[in-house]
Formats: sequence, C-alpha cells, structure tokens
Amino acid sequence: MDKLLRKKSNIILFLAPAFILFTAVLIVPIGTAFYYSLCDYKISETPKFVFLKNYITMFTSDADMKTAFKNSIFFMIFSCVTQLIFGLVLAALLTNIKRGRDFFKNVYYLPCVLSSAALGLLWYFIFHPKYGINKIMENLGLLNKASEGKQWLADTSGFIILPIVVISFVALWQYVGQSMMLYMAQISGISKDIYEAAAIDGCSKTQSFFRITLPLIKPMVATAMSLNAIGSLKFFDLIFSMLPESMRGVGGKAHVLATVIYDQGLRYSKYGYACSVGMVLLAMCLLVTFLINKFVKTESYDM
Amino acid sequence: MKMKKFLSLAVTSVLTVSMLAGCTSGGSDGGNNGGASGGVQELTFMVWDDLDASEDLISKGYKDSIERFNKDYEGKYHVKVVSTNLEEYYTKLNAEVAAGNTPDVFIVSPGPNLNDYVLPGTAAKLDDYLNADGWKGTFTSDAVFAGGTYGAEAAGGAGIYAIPLNIAAACVFYNTEMFADAGASVPKTYSELLTACQKLKDKGYTPITISAGTAWCLSMVAGYLCDRNGLNLQDVKDHKTDWNDAKVINAGKQIQELSQYFQDTAVSDDNDVATAAFYDGEAAILIQGSWAIGQINGSGPEGFADKVGVFAFPAVDGSSADPNRVIAKSDSLAMSATSKCPEGAIALIKYFVDDTAQKYTAEVGGKIPVTKVQYDESVAPPELSYVMDVFKNASATFGFYNESLADTEAGATFDSCFVEIFKGTDPAEALKPIQEYYENNVWK
Repeated sequence: MDKLLRKKSNIILFLAPAFILFTAVLIVPIGTAFYYSLCDYKISETPKFVFLKNYITMFTSDADMKTAFKNSIFFMIFSCVTQLIFGLVLAALLTNIKRGRDFFKNVYYLPCVLSSAALGLLWYFIFHPKYGINKIMENLGLLNKASEGKQWLADTSGFIILPIVVISFVALWQYVGQSMMLYMAQISGISKDIYEAAAIDGCSKTQSFFRITLPLIKPMVATAMSLNAIGSLKFFDLIFSMLPESMRGVGGKAHVLATVIYDQGLRYSKYGYACSVGMVLLAMCLLVTFLINKFVKTESYDM
Repeated sequence: MKMKKFLSLAVTSVLTVSMLAGCTSGGSDGGNNGGASGGVQELTFMVWDDLDASEDLISKGYKDSIERFNKDYEGKYHVKVVSTNLEEYYTKLNAEVAAGNTPDVFIVSPGPNLNDYVLPGTAAKLDDYLNADGWKGTFTSDAVFAGGTYGAEAAGGAGIYAIPLNIAAACVFYNTEMFADAGASVPKTYSELLTACQKLKDKGYTPITISAGTAWCLSMVAGYLCDRNGLNLQDVKDHKTDWNDAKVINAGKQIQELSQYFQDTAVSDDNDVATAAFYDGEAAILIQGSWAIGQINGSGPEGFADKVGVFAFPAVDGSSADPNRVIAKSDSLAMSATSKCPEGAIALIKYFVDDTAQKYTAEVGGKIPVTKVQYDESVAPPELSYVMDVFKNASATFGFYNESLADTEAGATFDSCFVEIFKGTDPAEALKPIQEYYENNVWK
C-alpha cells in the first residue's frame, strides 16, 4: 500500500473522483451563485451585471431581510444554547442509566429521522387556535372558547414574535436527539478508569460530570454547536409547513433567511437577488463556524 | 475469494448501469416537454389543485376534460397532470420554467402572473390557432380575451396569449337562515353592512368568515373598499396619487372596523378553513369569488346551496365612487412557447372550452361560461343566478387589486399591508411598504 501511495500519479488518481464530484456539486455552483448575486437575473432573461446593487438593497432597504436576520440569529443562538444544554443533559443521563438506554436513545432520536413536513403538520394542529393546546385549555375551563386563546402561529407582537419562539421549541424537540447522540458517542469514549480514579479520590457524580466529562467532550461541543448553528441558519421546513402564508410571505414577520431566498428566487423569479441572500447565508455559516472553533477550545486529551 | 471478486464486479456493474440509465431516462417521463413513449405523445398540464383528491366541482370538471381528451386521443396523446396547491402554484411553475421544463399547458390568472410568462416569451401566442376553424367565434365576445391580450411588449409580439375558461365575480355570500333569524337585511351600503353584522353578532352568530392567513382573501375585501372609496388604480400607476391617499387610508380604517365581526381565528385561518366555516354554518357571511360556489356545493352539506344568498359588495356611504363595479377574474390556460407538440396542446385546451366543459362550468361548477354554449339554468346551482344578477347589474368590472398592480411582488406587498392593518397597525404606517415599493421599483 505504501509503495502504491508513493507514486504521485496514484494519489491524483485516487483523489480525482472525490475532487471532481466535490467541485461539480459544490465549488462550481457556489462560484456561479456568486456571479449571479452580482447580476439582475429574472426568469428567462439574460443576467445583467449590476455589481453590488443586490447587496446594497439587501442591507439598506429590504425590510424582509431585517426581519430574516433578526429571526435567523435568534434561532441560531436559541438552538446552540438549548441543544447544548438539553443534548448534554440527556446524553449524561442516558450514559448513566443501566436499563432502557437503547429504548430512550431511539425515542429521543426518532423525530430527527421523521419528515419535517409531516411533523410540521402535526405541530400545526397542536398549535392551531381551534384545536390542540387551546382546545385542552377550553376543556380544562381555562378558556371560554378555544378560538379566543393565544394565536400561537400568528401573533406578531413583541421583538421576537411568538411563532418564532414556538417553532424554536419544536426544532429543539426535533433535533435534540442528534446533539444527544453526538455527545453520547464522545462520552462513551471516555475511559472508565478516569471515573474510577476520581471516585476513589472522593469525587461525586456531579463533580465527575463537570471536572471530567465536560472538559473531555469539548471537541464534540464545538462540532455539535457548529452543526446546530449552520442548521438553524439554513432552517426552512418547519417555518414553511407550520405558519400561515401571510406570516412568511412578503412583509411577513416570521421570515428567516431561507424563506427570503425561496420568496425572491422562486416566487418572484429574482434569481440574482436570491443568490446574493444565499451568499450572505454562506458567509454567515462560515463566520459562525470559524468563531465557534476559535472560542470553544478543542484540545484533545488521551482518553 | 473468487466469489467475492465476482460479487464486487456484479454490484459495480449494476450501479454503473443504473446510473447511466438514470442519466438517459428523459425519453418517457424525464422531461416535461412532450416526451414520446411507444408512439404516444405525452403532454404536461399544470394546475393549482389536486384533481384526484379535490372536492371542488370546477376542479372535477377539469379532471373530466382531461379524461375525455385522453380517451378520445388514446394511442396518440396522453396528458400528465402536474398539480400543487394554489398558494405554491406559481412558485412551482416558476421553478419548472427556470429548469427548462415549462408544462405544455398551464393554468394562469391574467395580470402580473401572466405577464411573467408572456413578456419573456415563455407562453406562446395563440392568435393563429384561435383564428383557425372559427374557434374564436365560439366565445361570447372578444372582451373575454382582454386579460390575455398583449401589445408589442410581449416577446412573441402583439396578440392573445391565454384562453379564458370561465369567469368568476367576487360577491358577498350570505346565509339566508341566519340573516332571517337575526332580523338582518341585505345591505346596500357599508353602514348597513355594519348594522347587519351587529345584529348577527347580537344573535350569537359569527358575522363574517375571512382568511388573513391567506393574504389575498383579506386583500380582496381591501380592493373593494379602496374602489368603493374612489381610488383609481391608474392614478396610482401614473403617480397622480400615492398609496397614502385618504381613500386607501379610509379603506384601511374600514377593514379595522369590520374586523370586529370576523371570526376569532381569521389571522390564522387559510382560505379553505375560512370558506369551510361558511358552509359548515359557523359564520353568516363569506366575501369570496364565485369560484367558491364549486367548493361550497362540493364540500358543504346537502341542501346548503338553498340557504345561500348573494349580494354585491356594498357602496361606501358618502363616496361618489361607482358602487356597481364588480371584481371579476377568469381562469385561463396558456401554452408553452417551447412545447414540442403545440397541436396536441391546443387540442387539449379546446377540451376545456368545448360545449361539454362549458355546460359543466355553469350547470355544476356555478361559474360563468366564456362560450356561447346554451346551458340549463334550472339545473345550475342557485347561487349562479344570483351571481349573474350581480354581474348583469355591474357597470364595469375590475381585477383583483393584487393581480392588477405593477408586478406580483407589488401585489403581495399590498396584501401584506392590509394584513398588518387588520392586525391593528395604523393604516398610514402599515401602507409604507407598498408606497416604498412603488417609489423604488415603479415610479422611478
């Protein structure tokens, strides 16, 4: 094998398929999108180069983009913090229970593998003002009529509107299993000897968690946080399937970056503008990943 | 070891062959532009409803037209239906167009939506087909083509680009039993409408069901109120007036005043849910296009049609605007300019406007036909005759506001402004986005 890999031509040959595929499906589209982001490009029309016009419009006069930035950043922070806390707690609990670990692991992970469109519909009914939560409150005598209760998916008061908070919790429910699995994989790699040594030295379970587990899973915290941040910046499906059209269309208060791309690109055929929003989204994803990896220290320890 | 080698080779071969097969499968169903398989030419038809699942009687009529076409042209043409829900229809159609898969025939509303396909040359000019065999003469008048007629601005040159299928008028549907029970009478003016709503509310009924979740429903009422207050859209287009004109502000205030009579969940409800509240007997008034007749009679309880009355949108007290103008709209069919089988596509369109289809449109669907077909008024839904009365008394028609503005985004911005007004934002403040949109994109 060593002999085989000593020849440069062999290395190139082995790398070529992946490199060509990677270039074709990622580098070329990103390059094309960047070029189109500098153009006025409508359906069936030839792109017209306008340099930074789309970016200037986006940052100066597009109200939907302001809403989208606010909601996407809230969504990212909420997702990173809550998934870190709940993912870690669940992972710590499940690695410490003796019976039913696999069962609960599957239960928590199940929403991750279900269709977001189906889950969106399920939660839409749960939060619909006539059914679900409001109906339960009516049955408990807390409301005279279910329809008079909170408009969970259409209330637009406040800086961060209720539907975005509701969807953030649904997304937490859906994806916390993924964070839990990542942390569990890392925790299960920690040698039991370390915990035993700590226990002999009088370390309690809580102290073990904070002094041994947490420091040793830091590399995975950075990875999971990056995945959460990128996933929440790109978030689209639950917003689309749970909210009424007037909340996520032009002037809607529940816009996120992905819904702006969808609206501008597919609904109004402004592909150039949609590409510029896409480039900003890409830049935000890269920036957030860079910051997380810079500030969450990821020294590796021999476990 | 030999076995392992053999298995690896077999798996690799299967994967390679299936990958290559995937690359070349465009012949039968990979493309949308009239693929041919086994001598049968496939035509794609795109529509804004699921024709197999829909209870809407007009959609059922479309399905029937396609089935008749497929039967009559068996072995020659076959229609593949591409369907989606109304809210996402144009999004999906735009994606198909952008991908080079424009359907051979697609349904479209005249106005900015049709502009998006006519101006760049996506839709085909249909004059030659209309003038052949006296087809154009079967329509009630040339006026029915007004929405689909373009000048030199169209990439394909001046001409007709869409064939209307039916005409619908936006009216006020009301539950006669609830009105009688509440002692309310049919209102002719806005103040009488408020009085009727108050009586209905006092009697414990929900006076009006409307959808603000699907913004165009609310915007239809806003359009009527703007018109009744005397706003002239041409003046707005020519920038002789602004969107913060007192007439628009007044329409906004009236929407806020009316909203006290809407169902509690209007802000969340979509169009279907709001319409269902009417035919389920939960609300007394539905302000909707007459296409709702097909939905009401298709999904509502038996005999409900007999309880339904229709009246024209009331005049605004003190306004000098013509109170007899009616919002009208037609569903139209356009043909792809790149269709590989234009003869088949035209043959298909003709099945939607032949006597069978047009009789069905009036007698079952409850919409106004566009051809000179004779239909039996005694079997047509009772609501149709009321709509026809409204239509006959109309002095003029005008389009949905969101489909009559500069472009589709302007229409959506208008819709969202009135949703904000409905939610309680001061009309002058809420109308800023549409004013800014026109300043940045239209009046430049």
